[in-house]
Amino acid sequence: MNAIFTAVFLLSVIVMTAIAPDKLLSTLLGGGEKAAATALTLFCIYAVWMGLSRLAEKSGFSRVAARGLKPLSRRLFKTDNDAALENIAMNLSCNLLGIGGAATPYAVKAIGELEKDNNDFAQKLLFVINATSVQLIPSTVIALRTSAGSGAAFDIFLPSLICTFISTAVAVLIFVGARKLNRKKRAGK
Amino acid sequence: MVFIIPAVFIAVFGFAIYKKVKIYDEFSKGVGEALQFTLSLIPCLAAIFMMCEVFEASGLSDALTNLLSPVFGFLGIPPELTKLVLIKPFSGSGSIAYLNEIISSYGADSYITRCACVCFGSSETVFYISAVYFAKTKSKKLIVPIAAVLIGTFISTVAACLLCRIM
Repeated sequence: MNAIFTAVFLLSVIVMTAIAPDKLLSTLLGGGEKAAATALTLFCIYAVWMGLSRLAEKSGFSRVAARGLKPLSRRLFKTDNDAALENIAMNLSCNLLGIGGAATPYAVKAIGELEKDNNDFAQKLLFVINATSVQLIPSTVIALRTSAGSGAAFDIFLPSLICTFISTAVAVLIFVGARKLNRKKRAGK
Repeated sequence: MVFIIPAVFIAVFGFAIYKKVKIYDEFSKGVGEALQFTLSLIPCLAAIFMMCEVFEASGLSDALTNLLSPVFGFLGIPPELTKLVLIKPFSGSGSIAYLNEIISSYGADSYITRCACVCFGSSETVFYISAVYFAKTKSKKLIVPIAAVLIGTFISTVAACLLCRIM
């Protein structure tokens, strides 16, 4: 992340110095402003979902709800940390239901739990799965198309489902493959 | 489908009442966690947003768009979508604004719009998610996972343009 950030940032600043040096500061301040506005929006979303998820956690609802996905998560993520598995299972279910706002806090909690075991593999795998989107129903775009007067807003359902599956499958395969390759290299030395 | 969210609320509240949880107290504590969580995100969020803004303002993102359009076209991605495909990993709000633009200029049922919707719906804001997820972890070596996600997303984009043509 440090390398990407430095490269993109520095290169952009150099180009800006050449074409519009007076705009640089206002652009950066604009970015900060956007971050503040986004943080406020995010707080509203997380306030709703983390309030609810605390109820689910305290009542034992999430333990019951997570039961179905837990065995699968245990094998995929190669961890026996129960708290992490429960959060992973809840994260996956929220994603599948299309409640992205609720999914993120669960993922962050799971990553915090995995940090305790130094389980780097599971943390990154969870990121790869989430960052390639795993929702069953693309509700946002369907809503957008409906409001734009589409006659068949749902006709993208099947292609979306296939594409979301392809992106996740490919990314997981590359991630796992690259890790194995890396380990072999290290073992070879 | 509109009933999913209300149903989740009713189920969780019902179960919490059944288990005699102090609902108001616990809900507020959850909101408190959300506040701390949001605050912990702000440093990384601000840094990433500044990078995205300056990348956009410097014209580098447009240059990259022009550079990659022919390559994308060769793979079956219409040039109208190049910018959306490039913006999505960086910015959720930026890409949704761009998606709206595509919908209003090409019509809700055109091939371009359907394609754009599938691409948008089957991808995520990768850099933002990486900032949020790994804000508090020690290891920040994310090149391999980020590359894997970007490649996966790109292949599914090519598939989306193909699928929308035949479906």
